[in-house]
Amino acid sequence: MAPQTQVKTGSQQSSDLEQKVQKLRELYADAPEIGKTALENLIRALKSGTPAKEPAARIESAGRIGRRQGKVSELTVIVPLAPGGAKRLRGFLETLHGTIGNELVDRVGTVHDMRFVFLENDTKLLFCTAYDGDWDVYIEDFATKIPDILNLQFGDTEGWPGIHSPKVKDFIVSHQITADFWYVANPSLTVVETRRLERIGNATEEFLDKISE
Amino acid sequence: MSLDERVSEDLRNRTTVDLDDIQATLLRYRPEPYFGTHLFLHINDPHGGREFLRRLAPHIGSAADWWNAADAWIAVAITYPGLVALEVPEDSLRSFPEAFQVGMAARAEKLRDYGANDPKNWDRPFGTGQIHIQVSIVSDSEDKWRRTLESARRQYQGYSGVTVLLTQDFGAQPGSLNSLGYKDSIGQPAIEGSGVEPLPGQGQPIKAGEFILGYPGEAGVPLAMPQPDVLGRNSTYVGLRKYQSRVGAFNRFLRANSQTDEERELLAAKLVGRWRSGAPLTLAPTTDDAALGEDPQRNNDFTYANDSRGRQAPLGCHMRRMNPRDTKMPVLTDVNIHRIIRRSTTYGAPYDPNAISDHDDEDARGIYFLFISAKAMSTLEFLQHEWINDGTFMNLRTERDPIVGLQEEGATFTIPKRPVRRRIHGIQTFNVLRGGEYLFMPSLSALNWLAGSNAEAVVRPAHV
Repeated sequence: MAPQTQVKTGSQQSSDLEQKVQKLRELYADAPEIGKTALENLIRALKSGTPAKEPAARIESAGRIGRRQGKVSELTVIVPLAPGGAKRLRGFLETLHGTIGNELVDRVGTVHDMRFVFLENDTKLLFCTAYDGDWDVYIEDFATKIPDILNLQFGDTEGWPGIHSPKVKDFIVSHQITADFWYVANPSLTVVETRRLERIGNATEEFLDKISE
Repeated sequence: MSLDERVSEDLRNRTTVDLDDIQATLLRYRPEPYFGTHLFLHINDPHGGREFLRRLAPHIGSAADWWNAADAWIAVAITYPGLVALEVPEDSLRSFPEAFQVGMAARAEKLRDYGANDPKNWDRPFGTGQIHIQVSIVSDSEDKWRRTLESARRQYQGYSGVTVLLTQDFGAQPGSLNSLGYKDSIGQPAIEGSGVEPLPGQGQPIKAGEFILGYPGEAGVPLAMPQPDVLGRNSTYVGLRKYQSRVGAFNRFLRANSQTDEERELLAAKLVGRWRSGAPLTLAPTTDDAALGEDPQRNNDFTYANDSRGRQAPLGCHMRRMNPRDTKMPVLTDVNIHRIIRRSTTYGAPYDPNAISDHDDEDARGIYFLFISAKAMSTLEFLQHEWINDGTFMNLRTERDPIVGLQEEGATFTIPKRPVRRRIHGIQTFNVLRGGEYLFMPSLSALNWLAGSNAEAVVRPAHV
C-alpha cells in the first residue's frame, strides 16, 4: 500500500518537539554529566534549526519480522553455533569470499551488505544484512539456485533444518531480532537500481565527453 | 502430427505420475474452439455437500486419457470455506497453507490488489466466503458442452444440499481470441513424468511436484501437503482471477500512440510480445505471420538469446514477464519455480476493435483466469508482487505488466529501439480484477475421501 503521509502544521510540529524534549530530559535526569551537556547542546541546535521534514520513507515491517525503509529491509540474527562451527564457518567464508564468493553474492542482486560476527568465545553467530523487498520473497529461488552456499553459511548453527526444509523460514524468524533503530541513506534505491544509475551516470559522462570534443 | 500419434507407447511407459488419479484439467490443453461453463455453488449442509460430491465424482474426468481433448470434461475444486462446510476434520483443515485458509481477498495486500482491484470492488459473490465449490465444464463443441453441463446439473437439481450462486458461460469466441483480441494460452510448462511430450520451445520439463502435490519439486523435495496423505497426494491448488477487460481504454491507448493500422497492430504486439495471431515477436519481429501463430510446433519455439535488450520482444511485455526464459535478470531467480499451468477462459462479447468509449469499458467481457500449481498461492503472490506490479527484475524500475498490471497515474511502457527507446506515457489498467478465489483441486481419491465417510463413520443410505 502507498504509505500514508501525515501533513503536520508548524505549530503541531513545535508542540510535538516540546513533548519529545521533555521526555528526553526526564530520561537523562540521572545520566552522566557529559551526556546531559551534550543533550542540552543538541536541544538548542534543534530548536534554532529549520523545522524537520517528514522522512523520505516511513519505517515499516519487512513482512513477518524486521524493519523496512522504502525498498530496503534489515535482518539481524543471533544464533548458537554447533561445537567447532565457528572455526569451520570462518574458514569457509574466508575461502569463499576470497575467491568466487563476492561474485556469487553480486548475482543475487538484492543484498546490499552482509556481516558475520562471532560472539561469546565463538559460541554464537551474529548475522546482519540489508536487502531489498520482503524477506522471504526470493528465499525459494535462492534455495534452488544456491542451496549449498546457504547450507554451508548456516549449517553450523544449532538446529539448522536445511535450506529445503519447510521449517527454514520459522527457524530464521525464531532467532531474528528486530532493530530498534536503523538508518538508510537511500531508501528508494534497490541494489538493481543503484547499478542501473551507475551505468547511466557513466554513459552520460561518456556522452558529454564526446560532444565536448 | 495429431496428439494421438505423439502419445507413443514409449511415453506412456515413462509416465511417473498417477494419471488416473489426477483431474484431467491439469494436463488437458483447452480445446479450440472451446465452449464451457463455470458453476459456483454453496453448500447448505454438510450431508448435502458430501452427497453432491458423491454424485458428481464419477463424472469428473481423469488425466489418464488426457490426449482425448475431444471429450467434454468436468473439473471440480473446493474453497477453504467449502472444506469447512463439508466438515473436514479440524487437524486436516489446519494442514492447509495459511493463504489458502484465509482466501484470496484477505491476501489483497500481498497480491497488490488495491485501488481498482481492491476486493471491496469485486463482483459478488467473490471474496465473500460464500463460494464453496467450483465446477467447470469444458468442451470443443456446443452440443457436447450442453450435454455435459446437463449431466453436471443433474447431480444437484432437485436436491437441497447445494445452491448455485453463479453460472458463467465462457468460450465460443470467433477464432478463440480473448477479450482484448489475442490468441492466448500458448506456452504452457511441460511437466516431467506426465507422459506429455514437450512442444518445441517448452524447454526442459519441470518437476511434477511444482504442479501436483506428492512429487519432488525443482528443489528435489515434495512440498508440504494437506493431511491425510489420501487428501494431499495427486491434488493441487487453483487460483481463480476474474478480469473485466476495459476494451475502450485499450483501443484508445492503441489509437493515441500510433499513426497507421500497421503501427497500431505492432504496438498491440509489443504489449503482449505476440501478434494477435499468436506469432511471437522473437520469430516475427516486423510483421504478423498467421501461419506461425497457429502452429503449436513453431509458435513457442524460441529463446531470447538474440534479443537480450528486448528490441524484438520488449523486456516488459506480458509474455516475457510471465516467462523470462533465458533473459539475463539482475536478481538471482529460478524461472522454473514460478511457472503455472494456465487455463484461460474468455467470457462475454467478443473483442471489438472499434469500441472506444468509456461505456465499452463496462461491457461485461473479460477472462476467468485459472492457474494451477502445487503452490498456487505463493506463486501468485510472487508473480503479482515481483513480475506483474514491479519492474525491478527486468531493470524497468516501477513499470508494470501492460496487460494484467494495476497501473498508477502517469505509468509508462518502454519499447527498446535503436537508436533510443520509446517510452509511452499514460498506460492504463486494461484488465480490472473483479473477483478471485483460492481453490483446492482434489485428486479423484481425495474427492471420494471428501465425499465419503471421513466424518460419517457409517455410510448413509441414499435418499430416495
